[in-house]
Amino acid sequence: MVVKTLSSPFGGQARTRALVALRLLGSSFPRELSRLLGIPVSAVSRALAGLERDALVVGRLVGRSRVYTLNPGYFARRELEAYLLELSEADRELRERSALLRRRPRRTGKPL
Amino acid sequence: MTLTATSTLPEVAIAVGDHLRHCGITAVLTGGACVSVYTDGAYLSKDADFVIQGMVRQAALDRALAELGFTREGDCYVHPDTRFFLEFPPGPLAIGADLAIRPVEVRDGDKVTLALSPTDSCRDRLAAFYHWQDRQSLHLAVAVARHRAVDLEAIRKWSRSEGSDAAFKMFLRELRRDG
Repeated sequence: MVVKTLSSPFGGQARTRALVALRLLGSSFPRELSRLLGIPVSAVSRALAGLERDALVVGRLVGRSRVYTLNPGYFARRELEAYLLELSEADRELRERSALLRRRPRRTGKPL
Repeated sequence: MTLTATSTLPEVAIAVGDHLRHCGITAVLTGGACVSVYTDGAYLSKDADFVIQGMVRQAALDRALAELGFTREGDCYVHPDTRFFLEFPPGPLAIGADLAIRPVEVRDGDKVTLALSPTDSCRDRLAAFYHWQDRQSLHLAVAVARHRAVDLEAIRKWSRSEGSDAAFKMFLRELRRDG
């Protein structure tokens, strides 16, 4: 059994941390979230599917990936975003890992 | 009412809402089916979305809809004789951040269901346009406003509260364009 070091008010660590990550990143997809959170893609996908059913997140197909964001139509969106930002303060590791993800565009063909 | 292959979406939606009411389940019709009702079928959705008011057990909903011939497949309810399916998105009943929604009664003969009002149906579609820049939703909002009287001032105020003044102006421009 894993010692719980963070609260999981959204029903589980994967659900809660996926929501916090989406708040920090704006949008993401299961494989990226899996790498970021250090949990299997299948667990992330399950968490996102549940969050989508609860109308907390929305997903849409972009190419072959399903990209998720917090649901902008959720009735308490502003309160949810503020709360998730507070929760992120308690998850320093996630904040730091999110900050290291490159999100700005990169010109096609530009050498790494 | 027996649902058949020729039943229209408004007929199906109102029959379902009416039946649920008789089973003690309060459900409010929202989404595209509402648009279909208010545009007299000019817009055809594939499903009817109902938001249930209060606590209802899944088994009770399954039982009530089975009486009409619907069976649950995942999150949807399907019927062997109509192509329209039913969905029950999670509540609360809200449009954007507005929770003060007052449903209205919509009738089809002796059947009656609760539904978003024309103004709220218009706002419901506009919310999708505002949040996802979905042009189809903009056209549906315009279609509702052209077919039914809607409170444009209330929609303007709500749009402002959603931070969507500019998008509301686009809606007005579309509405005033020759239909």
